[in-house]
Amino acid sequence: MKKITRRDFLKLSTNSLVMLSGILGIGGLIRYLCYPFDPTPPTEFDIGPATQYPVDSRTIVHYIPAIVIHDEKGIRAISLACSHLGCAIEERNFGFECPCHSSRYDLDGVVLKGPATDSLRKFRVEKSEDGNLHVFTA
Amino acid sequence: MVRRYLLIVYLPLLLFAANLIPDTGVQASSQFESTLTAGAQPTPTFDVRRLDQPVIPLDNTEQLKKGSEIYWGICMACHGDIGQGLTDDWRDAFGTEDRNCWQSGCHGSDHPPQGFLIPKDKLAPAIAGSGKLARFRNAQELHDYLLANMPWWDPGQLTDEESWQVTAYMLSLHKVMPKRFELADTNASAIRTQYAVPQPSDDRPAILALTGILALATIGMVAQELRKNGLRFPERPNFYHHLHPPTVPALQARLRYTLGAGGLAVFLCLTLLVTGILEMFYYIPTPEYAAVSVEVIASLAPFGALIRNLHFWAAQALLIVISIHLMRVVLTGAYARHRRLNYLIGLGMMVLVLLLDFTGYILRWDEGIRWALVVGTNLLKTIPWIGDSLYQLVVGGPEPGLSSLERFYTWHIFVLTLGMIILGAWHIFRVRRDGGIAVPPPDQRQDHTRLSRFDLVRREVLVMLMATVLLLLVSTLFPAPLARPITQATVDVTTSTPDAHAPWFFLWVQQLLKLGDAFFWGVVSPILLLILLALIPYLLPQAKEAEFGRWFPRGNRIAQILIILIMLILVLLTVIAVMPTVQL
Repeated sequence: MKKITRRDFLKLSTNSLVMLSGILGIGGLIRYLCYPFDPTPPTEFDIGPATQYPVDSRTIVHYIPAIVIHDEKGIRAISLACSHLGCAIEERNFGFECPCHSSRYDLDGVVLKGPATDSLRKFRVEKSEDGNLHVFTA
Repeated sequence: MVRRYLLIVYLPLLLFAANLIPDTGVQASSQFESTLTAGAQPTPTFDVRRLDQPVIPLDNTEQLKKGSEIYWGICMACHGDIGQGLTDDWRDAFGTEDRNCWQSGCHGSDHPPQGFLIPKDKLAPAIAGSGKLARFRNAQELHDYLLANMPWWDPGQLTDEESWQVTAYMLSLHKVMPKRFELADTNASAIRTQYAVPQPSDDRPAILALTGILALATIGMVAQELRKNGLRFPERPNFYHHLHPPTVPALQARLRYTLGAGGLAVFLCLTLLVTGILEMFYYIPTPEYAAVSVEVIASLAPFGALIRNLHFWAAQALLIVISIHLMRVVLTGAYARHRRLNYLIGLGMMVLVLLLDFTGYILRWDEGIRWALVVGTNLLKTIPWIGDSLYQLVVGGPEPGLSSLERFYTWHIFVLTLGMIILGAWHIFRVRRDGGIAVPPPDQRQDHTRLSRFDLVRREVLVMLMATVLLLLVSTLFPAPLARPITQATVDVTTSTPDAHAPWFFLWVQQLLKLGDAFFWGVVSPILLLILLALIPYLLPQAKEAEFGRWFPRGNRIAQILIILIMLILVLLTVIAVMPTVQL
């Protein structure tokens, strides 16, 4: 191994210290820029009285966005955000299609055709004491 | 000499400036002119002529005239002939049985279903006059309300077009509707309900005059150019001359070799800088006002549409021009040897231009950009390890919103622009440092003639003039795209199919994303493509110095084939992406 002179050593340590401070500074900068200024969006939505969703109905609730399905299996809600990259999907006779990259889902949100790989997210639906339905997206 | 040419350039600008001054004074006075003919005071006996179809002065749009017909036929019964609402005076106009509508229902003798009942809990409100329509901030909100809720006994009866027509007429009753102004999704948010915006003027004659004068100046300069070039030093060089070497080899200044692409890119950047700064005087980077302020620029501010269109078209042209520049550099082998650093700087600038175009596109904050924003930012999330932090860094929150717009604004107008200025200065410096545009060394040249900086500058001014004329023409004929603003209302009720196309320069990425895994096709492959381009001067054989200054030299054939293939694939993907898809 090459012998390190005192001058080299001092130079090396100064340079490393300056670099270290730079890395720390960048870390601080990234933390500064990652502060979430906007509030977290709601994860619980009151979608009105359950009577608005009769049996055999499929109701789109745009502000979630989700579709509330009431059939013989009960009431459930499926996300209308494409599981691929989040575009709002559109209803078709076979189910749903994403206008952005043409992923397709069946009526229950199961993938028929890629690029999406995951089914549409299922949201928990609960009936509150006042008879209103609540959709939980968390 | 040069001063005379500059005069040719300045003169139209002066005329143009003179055109601006008288305009502003006249506008303000006309805005309160009433479009109404009837405005009679309440009299004990009702003047039945008030029930006649309103007469619209000729200088109004067809839209407003149609609106007056619909208002007269449907709305007037309850909202009054001057928008006063269902006042006692107005009810005097009705037949005796209908005077007390709440009791008799309207069309008293033929009750529902033919007639209708006025709901007792609703009053037909006044829709014109001081302080009225206060629940709507602008014409867009009023239109959306009419479309969804009116007429009250049959909501949804009005079509979108009819809602615009009625909106125009209502706002003219309310005395806030500019004359000769066609309301649409792309300008109605700029028309306020609580005050009259200044009457927008027609800028086209002034713009056409300016374009014509500049075109004449260009023809004059072309005529000058027909004289033989030679080494002439007619006067002391000015500052702009001093930015150039005293003389350059004539080989470096051939348009058929350089295509003028580099110089044109500099000019477009300057155009973008100036028009961008001008847009900043009106643009407000908040979700609530961004799209509205763009509408103000595009449809109300004098020459605002021109400035916005110039900014838009210069940005699109810049992308095309730098692509041509890159192609030229590779197809002539000019990136060889010590010039490869400058090639990398150029690639860096291309990335910056793409980011600038994307951020600028997002700043519109209208329905047209909504899904590109969602997809573009969600792509970041697919990156392993750092994806979520990167998303947070770019979006500034859990989902696109106020912070995202503020961040895109800061990136667009400051960080990326500053990067362009630094890299651009470095790029141009490196061109000079590397001996100017690539030509063979002096001992291997056939042609030894040189061109003075005066001739060079004159050619540059000529190309700039031509580019300006072309940009002005395109900007006048083809307005930059704009859709209705993203508002809570459009987020809550997305009724129409959103425009799901990426901006044109990212259509190829959108098409790649349809192939499969989002991270691989949307993030990795574009980065791989960039790395491939960056490696061209380092891995593939280069052209020899003697081959410089010519198209398709033998030395770097592989690189030429590669870049042509890449461009073909990108163009092909773009074409596939815009082709209509088959609906099931």
